[in-house]
Amino acid sequence: MKKKGQTGEGELPLPISSKAKNRTFSRLQGRLAPYAFLAPALIVVTLFFFIPLVMVFILSFTNLDMTNFGILEWWRPANWSLDNYVKIFTNRFFPKILGNTLIYVALTLAFFNVGMALVIALITTHINRQAGFAFRALWLLPRITPVVVYIMMWKALSGPAPMGIINNFLGVLGIGRGEYLLNTHPWVFVILVNGFIGASFGMILFSSAIEAIPKDYTTASKVDGATTWQTIRYVILPMIKWPLLFVTTYQTLSLLTSFEQIMLLTDGGPRLYQTEVWALTAYHRALTSYFGNTQWGYGSAWAVALVVIGIIMAIIYLRVFKFGELVEEPKIDRL
Amino acid sequence: MKKLRAKSGIMVVALAVGLLLVGGAVSYTQETETITVTVRCRAKPPMENWRGDNFLLATEELNADLKAAGDPRRVEIELIQDNMDWGPYLSEFVLGFGAGEAPDIWLTGHEYIGAQAEAGRIIALDEMLKEFPTFNLIIDGLWDSTTYKGKIWGIPQDAEARPLYFNKALLKKLGWSDAEIAALPGKIEKGEFTLYDMLETAKEAVARGIVELGNGFWTRPKNGPDFTAFYYAFGGETIDPATGKLVFDTAAGLKYYQFFYDAAQTYGSMGCLGLGWGEAWHPGVSGSKVLFWIGGTWQWAEWAEIYLKDLGGEAYMWENFGFGLIPAAEKGDKPNSLTHPLAYLISSQCKYPDLALALIAKVSNYGPNTRHAIASTHLGILKGQTEYKFYKVSRLLSETLYMLDYTTFLPNNPYWGPYSTITYEALAAAVGGEFTPEEAVDFVVDGLQRELGDKVIIR
Repeated sequence: MKKKGQTGEGELPLPISSKAKNRTFSRLQGRLAPYAFLAPALIVVTLFFFIPLVMVFILSFTNLDMTNFGILEWWRPANWSLDNYVKIFTNRFFPKILGNTLIYVALTLAFFNVGMALVIALITTHINRQAGFAFRALWLLPRITPVVVYIMMWKALSGPAPMGIINNFLGVLGIGRGEYLLNTHPWVFVILVNGFIGASFGMILFSSAIEAIPKDYTTASKVDGATTWQTIRYVILPMIKWPLLFVTTYQTLSLLTSFEQIMLLTDGGPRLYQTEVWALTAYHRALTSYFGNTQWGYGSAWAVALVVIGIIMAIIYLRVFKFGELVEEPKIDRL
Repeated sequence: MKKLRAKSGIMVVALAVGLLLVGGAVSYTQETETITVTVRCRAKPPMENWRGDNFLLATEELNADLKAAGDPRRVEIELIQDNMDWGPYLSEFVLGFGAGEAPDIWLTGHEYIGAQAEAGRIIALDEMLKEFPTFNLIIDGLWDSTTYKGKIWGIPQDAEARPLYFNKALLKKLGWSDAEIAALPGKIEKGEFTLYDMLETAKEAVARGIVELGNGFWTRPKNGPDFTAFYYAFGGETIDPATGKLVFDTAAGLKYYQFFYDAAQTYGSMGCLGLGWGEAWHPGVSGSKVLFWIGGTWQWAEWAEIYLKDLGGEAYMWENFGFGLIPAAEKGDKPNSLTHPLAYLISSQCKYPDLALALIAKVSNYGPNTRHAIASTHLGILKGQTEYKFYKVSRLLSETLYMLDYTTFLPNNPYWGPYSTITYEALAAAVGGEFTPEEAVDFVVDGLQRELGDKVIIR
């Protein structure tokens, strides 16, 4: 009795066995193929994100710094403690840095990254299409300008009279004393500089979302006698709730972790910690100091705490905007 | 036939010459070994470029020495020189060392020696120094700055004074006569013009609108060595000679913070902290907007070369700027200054430290060191350098030389970094009015004890 798949004498054994092998191979191939496609991304993410993340997390429990680098065995749990976190929350300047971060995120978000972005999107979608497009393209300039060049421009703009353009305008209006505005009003510039870049992101998303709203809705509202404001408030805004949630959440997290513009512009000054935000503190503690006493462990703790804050804020946003309802299947599809 | 013979003769000769050349080249490469010595320097271009460029000139001389001595090694230089901030500059060395790529010769501030010696990243040079008598030329006192735990770890490269500069034109507006202005450095040296006398003058200049509020007296805009000189002026100590530990003296600290608190809150001064060097600080002091300021002798060259070239450079500066020591805190006390020698250190990853040291010996001689001193207005480091023909041409170097008699140093301690950060933060907070002087001292004591524990002595 032959078992299924076995071959008798004189028959060629290869084809059936080969078929079986092929089947197994193709099944295996089918299973592995997605992983093979994912592998490059997975390797990159693991090497440059996951492993550093774990290392930063571990480092945040150590006192690794420039003086004990190469001496301290930071990977040994015996050298881990919560001291860095205690130091953060008992730091005399902690309330100031936290306050700065909240002010920076809230004002930039409200006035520019969401507020200004929405205003520009609404205006440019309600005017001549080509003019709107050109105007939006102009607003993209800060984003596509290399950040160092962009900051150098702002530094020049805010320069003392007669070189600083802003001071020249203020002089004509009889305002100000021609001083270096970055030193006298650093916060205004920190928010403007970041906001001008940040607004373009929301502007693009909101514009496309508004343009995607079927014209019937706005036409119907006009026929019903709605004013422009009423159309925006009761038709457009509810229909772009999803991009609003996305931009608000994404930009909050982005602002929380961004510091490069502030670093180049004021480096947290001009007065002690005057414009220092959380992410900049993490950078300063971990990677800079005049005499080189960079505290990698302590700086990592600041960074890890910021990640935790970011996650908490993201969860809050998802709850407030009722994310679950937004991603629900349309009720019509369930019927 | 004759033609053929002549042709083959030429060919034989050509072949012989070719073989000789190839053979010679092969034998040369077999006999000599080219060694690349990496030199890492921090230098503000163009004034301080000789710090590294001198090595390029020294190479040829060293190779000639090696050849004469029958040493098969030959040296070539890989020079990396830029104006990076000190913090990242140090990080670069430490991380480079971790990756096995530390430079062979590393020029840095002497205060980093403690930490690098403890970590084993640099080598002690005591024994090797004896083989290069050139080093006997270096002023004895400067070796203190490169000595840590009884051993020498670096070769002093330059020194400087950090004078109190004053603007003569602004003092004249205040009613000072030429004779009074000329006498000021002498009065400071004798302890007759104190730090608070300076603040009183600054206050008057602000009150009369000669300078803007905040511009009576300026220090550097960010943390750095200068502040320690003021702490010393009020009787502070930074190091305990018996144990080598860092020291913070609370009584001196209180006076020190009181001075800066008063300067900002009462005397219309210290509007400088947080300013950008290039955007506001240098234009401020060189642009005659500030009455008194603490700077370095090396900045003299910077102002002349970069900021005041159009107005006449040094000639304009001699006309308008004066300088003296940092005044004493109390009448009759000794004024001071602070020098922060840079030093060439040799990495423990250097495979040929003898060659590295030989190169350093070449650049530590009158010619190369004077080139750097003149171009960058740093003080010389060699005995008798003031008599050297080409050194004497610099009026500034000659006129500031006496300041070395009053000079102080930063401590060579591995934990100077955190100490300095904490004490500076307290100062900036006192200047900003966020801390009273007492709160500043409490902040420092608390911070030092938390960060450094028993590595610091609080008195």
